[in-house]
Amino acid sequence: MFCYHCGAQLSEQHDFCTACGADVSLYKKIMYVANRFYNDGLEKATVRDLTGAITSLRQCLKFNKNHVEARNLLGLVYFETGEVVAAMSEWVISKNLRPEKNIADDYIGLLQSNASRLDALNQTIKKYNQAYAYCVQESKDLAVIQLKKVLSLNPKFIRAHQLLALLYMDSEQWERAQRELTKCAAIDRNNTMTLRYLKEVEMMLLPDENVKQPLKRKKEEAVRYQSDNEIIIQPMNVKEPKSGNAATLLNVGIGLVIGLAACYFLVVPAKVGEVRAEAQQTITEIANQSDAKTSRIQELEASMKKLQEENDNLNSELEGYVGDDGTLKTIDELLSAGTIYLQTQNAEEAATHLENIAASVNVDETSEAFQNLYQTLLAAIGPELATTYYDGGLAVYRNEDFTAAIEQLGKAVYYDPTNAEALYYLGQAYRRSGDKENAAVIYEKVIDLFPGTQNAANAQRYLEEMGQ
Amino acid sequence: MINFEEELKKFHPSLEVEDAEEAIYNQDLTDMADLLVKMIQEYEEKQGN
Repeated sequence: MFCYHCGAQLSEQHDFCTACGADVSLYKKIMYVANRFYNDGLEKATVRDLTGAITSLRQCLKFNKNHVEARNLLGLVYFETGEVVAAMSEWVISKNLRPEKNIADDYIGLLQSNASRLDALNQTIKKYNQAYAYCVQESKDLAVIQLKKVLSLNPKFIRAHQLLALLYMDSEQWERAQRELTKCAAIDRNNTMTLRYLKEVEMMLLPDENVKQPLKRKKEEAVRYQSDNEIIIQPMNVKEPKSGNAATLLNVGIGLVIGLAACYFLVVPAKVGEVRAEAQQTITEIANQSDAKTSRIQELEASMKKLQEENDNLNSELEGYVGDDGTLKTIDELLSAGTIYLQTQNAEEAATHLENIAASVNVDETSEAFQNLYQTLLAAIGPELATTYYDGGLAVYRNEDFTAAIEQLGKAVYYDPTNAEALYYLGQAYRRSGDKENAAVIYEKVIDLFPGTQNAANAQRYLEEMGQ
Repeated sequence: MINFEEELKKFHPSLEVEDAEEAIYNQDLTDMADLLVKMIQEYEEKQGN
C-alpha cells in the first residue's frame, strides 16, 4: 500500500505516512474494504456465483480503481458469461495500470493472437444484437433461430440463453425454457434473472390446479412426447369416420373415375401425340423418297429425250445413205457411175451419178476405197466432160444466156480446174449477168492461178473497172 | 406471471468489439480513494484560508 500523497510505502503499524506525515487512516480503511470485496468476489467466482462475483468485484473497484487483481478477475468473469467486450475493457485498463507482470497481458494476447476466434466472438455479439432487434420487432421466430445460432457459436453467452428462455416462455414452451435456464444456472448459479425465470417455469410445470388447467386440457386433447429436440403432438380425440359398404364402394368408384379421367386427360393425349409424331416422321420419309424418285425420273426423261433426238438425227443421216432397197445410196450411185462408164462410155450419164454423190455426202469423209474409185472415175470422165461443158457454156455465153453459161462453165471448171479459158469466161458470165461479187472472185482466181496470161490481164482490167 | 414486454426492456444490445475503445474511454474510473483525496485537499484549502 502506497501513500496517496507522496507515493511512499506505508507501514502497517502507523496511521500516517512515515515519509510525508499525511494521515492515511481513512485511506487504509478504504483499501481494506476494497480488499474485502475482492476476497468476496474471488470466493463467489470460485463457486460459480458469477453475478455475485461481478457485484463484489465492481464494489472493490469503486473503492480502489487501481486494484489490478480485482480488475483482471472481473474481466475473466465477464468473459465466462460471454461478455467479451466488457472483459477486454477491464483487461486493457488493467494493463494500462500495470504494464509489466500483468496476467491481463496474457488474456489480451490469447484473444489477439487468434483473429478468427475474435472474429467469431464478434459475430456472436452481432447475431445476438440482431436477435434482440427481432424481438423488438415482434419477429420472435426469427429471434429464436438467431439465438440458436449464437449459442452454437458461444454456448456460455448467459444473456442469449436468458433471452431464448424468455421467448420460449412467451410461446409457452416451458420445457425448452427450463432447459435453457438450467444451462444458465450451470454457468452462473446465482443469476437473479435466471432464478426468477426458473421459478416461473417451475411454477408452470408444477401440478397446480389453477395453473395447470390449460395444460390438462391440452393433454386430454393430445399426447405430447419428445423425440430428440422435437416435441411430437399426437391428437387423441380425432377418430376415423365410420362408413358403410356403400360408402366404400362409392369411394372406390369415385377413385376409379378419377383414375380413368386422369388417364384420359394425361396419358391418352401423350400417346396420341407420340403416334402423330411417328406418322409425321413416316410421311416425311416417304415424301423425301418420292422427291428423290421424281428427280430420278426427270433425269431419265431428259436422257431419253436426248437419246431420241440423237436417234432421229442418226436415222435421218442414215436415210441419206440408204436407198429404197436398203443398200447405201452413195455406194449405189458410185457403182452405177462405174458400171455405166465401163459399159457405155457415156460420160454425161456417169457424171450425173457422181454429181449426186457430191451433192449428198462429203467425199473427203468417206472410206479410202470409196474415194479411190470416185477419184478414178472422175479422172477418167473429167476431161471429156470439161470439154463438153466448156463448149456448151461458151455457146450459150455467146448467145448471151448467162445463167445457162454460168452453169455450164462452172461444171467445166469443176471437172478441169486447169482450163483457164473456162474460168475466165465464167467470170465474164457473172459480170455480164450483173453478179459483180462472184465475178470479182473468179477474176481473182484467174489472176492467181494463171498469172502473166492475157486472161489474167483482162481479169485485172475488169476488176479495176468494177472498182475493186 | 412474467410479462414479455417488460422483461424485454431489461435486455439491451451487447457492445461489439468495434465499440470497445469508446467504452474504455468513457468508463468512469473515479473511486473512493479519489474522493477522499479530493475531500482532504478541499479541507486543507479551507484550513489554509
